[in-house]
Amino acid sequence: MKLVWKLLRQHISIGQFTGFTMANLIGMVIILLGFQFYQDVSSIFSSKESFMKKDYIVVTKQVGAVSALTGKGNSFAPAEIEALEKQPFTRSLGQFLPADFSVSASMGMKNIGIQFSTEMFFESVPDDYVDYNSSQWNYREGDELIPIILPRNYLNLYNFGYAQTRGLPKLSENVISMISLDISIRGQGKSGHYQGKIVGFSNRLNTILVPKAFLDWANKEYGSGEKVYPSRLILEVSNPTDDRIAKYFQDKGYETEDDKLEQGKTIWFLKIVVGIVMAVGILITVLALYILMLSIYLLVEKNSAKLENLLLIGYSPSRVAWPYQLLTLGLNAIVLVLAFIILMIVRKYYVEMLEALYPDIIIGGIGKTVLIGIVLFIMVSFMNVLVIRQKIAVIWERKD
Amino acid sequence: MDKIVLKQVLPMVFEEHRSLMQSDVWLQDLTFEKGNSYLVEADSGTGKSSLCSYIFGYRKDFTGQILFDDKDLNGLGVKDWVDVRLRSLSVLWQDLRLFPELTAMENVQIKNQLTDFHSQKQIEEWFERLGIADKKNSKVGRLSFGQQQRVALIRSLCQPFDFFFADEPISHLDERNSEILGEILMSEAQRQGAGIIVTSIGKHMNMNYHRIIKL
Repeated sequence: MKLVWKLLRQHISIGQFTGFTMANLIGMVIILLGFQFYQDVSSIFSSKESFMKKDYIVVTKQVGAVSALTGKGNSFAPAEIEALEKQPFTRSLGQFLPADFSVSASMGMKNIGIQFSTEMFFESVPDDYVDYNSSQWNYREGDELIPIILPRNYLNLYNFGYAQTRGLPKLSENVISMISLDISIRGQGKSGHYQGKIVGFSNRLNTILVPKAFLDWANKEYGSGEKVYPSRLILEVSNPTDDRIAKYFQDKGYETEDDKLEQGKTIWFLKIVVGIVMAVGILITVLALYILMLSIYLLVEKNSAKLENLLLIGYSPSRVAWPYQLLTLGLNAIVLVLAFIILMIVRKYYVEMLEALYPDIIIGGIGKTVLIGIVLFIMVSFMNVLVIRQKIAVIWERKD
Repeated sequence: MDKIVLKQVLPMVFEEHRSLMQSDVWLQDLTFEKGNSYLVEADSGTGKSSLCSYIFGYRKDFTGQILFDDKDLNGLGVKDWVDVRLRSLSVLWQDLRLFPELTAMENVQIKNQLTDFHSQKQIEEWFERLGIADKKNSKVGRLSFGQQQRVALIRSLCQPFDFFFADEPISHLDERNSEILGEILMSEAQRQGAGIIVTSIGKHMNMNYHRIIKL
C-alpha cells in the first residue's frame, strides 16, 4: 500500500486541500458554534422553573374598579372557558381550582422560639401542567403529608424584607424544603391537621399550589359544595409568539401573569438568528465540499494513467480508491477535532460572560453539538467516499 | 481457466472491411488451450494489441464473442475481472505500463505485494539473469526501453496465471536477452501448466510453438 500511495500522491495540490480544510473548518465551526450558543443561551429563558412545562401561560381577567368592589366578575364563566379552548392557538387548557375552605399554616422551630402562623389558601392545577417529579407530587386520601409549591416571591419577601429588618436568619430553598408546615383546615364545622412539605418554588405560578387530588378530596370533605369558577386558567399554546394570542387577550380583557409571551418572542428571534447563522455555516460547508470534489476530480484526472495501470495489474477499484478516501477521511477528522477545539475555546469565553450576566444560569453540556459534529463528519465523509469511488469506476469502465 | 474461445470476433473499426477479412483470428472460431503456446504473427495495424485488450477486458469495441471456458466475458463483473487479472491472465503489454516514478524493483514489488507470489530472492535472481540487477534501484523512467521490457516481464510473472500474453515482448532486446527472457517465461509457464500467446510483427521469441496463427 505504501508504493500505491507513493504513486497516487503525485499531483496532490497542498493548496487545494488546505483550502478545502479551511473552508470546511469555518463552515463546521459556524454550524457547531451556532447550535451550541443557542443551547447555552436558551437555558437563560427556561432558567429555574423546572416544574412548569415550557409553553404554558397563566391567564387572568383584569381587575377593574367595579369587579374589585363587587368581588364578582373575576372568574371565568364556562362559556368563556369553552371559547378560549376553541381558539386555534390553544393546545390544551387547565383550570385553577381554589380551595373551598379556610387554611392556616404555622411553621418554625419551637426550640429556638421562632414560630410563624398565617392564614393562607390553596389552589391546584391539573397534574399534567405541573412538570414535577410525580412520586413527590401526589396525594392519596388519608395521607398526612401534603406537597406544596410556593411562589418564590414569598421566600424573597421573607429573606430580603422580614428577616433582614428583624435580624432573623435567612433561609435557603433547601432549608425551607426541610421544614414541615403545620396545616390546619376548617370548613363546614369540621377541622383537620396535616403536615405540609414544600417541594419547590415557582416564579410563574403566583399561588400556593397543592396536588389536585388533595384539593378534590378536601373540597368535598370541608367545602360548601358550591360550584366554584376558576379565576385563573393555565393555557398550553403551540407557539407563545403567536400574535393572535395577544390580540385575543386584548379583545377579551385577559392578562397573563408572567412575561412568558415576551420570552417566547425573544426565543423566536434567537432561533431565527441562529437559524440564519447555521444556514451560512451549512452553505460554507457545502462550498467546501464542492472545492474538495473539484480537487479530487482534478487529482484523479491527472493520475488517471497510473490509476488505469494499477487496475490493469490486478488492483481492485476499491483498493485504488482507498488511499484517496483515507486522505479525505483524515482531513475531515482533522476538521472535526479542530472545530471542537475552537468551539471549546470560544464557548469558554462566552460562558464566562453569560455566567457573569446571569449568575443563576444552568449551562448544559455539549453532547448534542458533539453529535451534530459527528453526524456532519459522517455525511461529508460519506459523500467524499462515494464520489471517489464513482470517479475510479469511470476509469475502470473507461467511460471518459 | 482452461481455454479462451473466440467466436467470430471482429474489432469494430474493421467492420467496413468485414468481407475482405483474411485472418486466422478475426471472424473465425478460435480456441487457445491451456498448456499450449501460440505465436500470433501480424502486420502492423492488424489489431494484435486490440486482441490483448479485448481478452484482458480493457476494451470492448468488438463484435462477436469471447469466452473464458464457457463464460462470456461480457457477463463478468468488477470482482470477476479483478480475480481474472490476479489469478488467470497475465499480460506483458506492448507499451509495458510501468510506473516511471517508481524504481525498477518497486515496479515489480507493487505487483508482488498484491499477490505475494514470488520470494524477493526469486525476483532478485531474475533481475540478475536478465542483466538489470544494477538498475533495480533506478527510476524506470531513466531506463532504456529494452531494460524496461525486462522489468515489465518480471512484474508480469509475479502472479499465478493460466494464460500469458506477451505483446511483442522482445522488440527492443538483443538475441541473448531474448533467449533468456524466453527461457524464464517458458519455465514459469511450464511450472504452472499455463498457455502462452506471443504476438509478433517480425522478430519473435524462439520457442516450440504449438501453433502459429496469422492475424
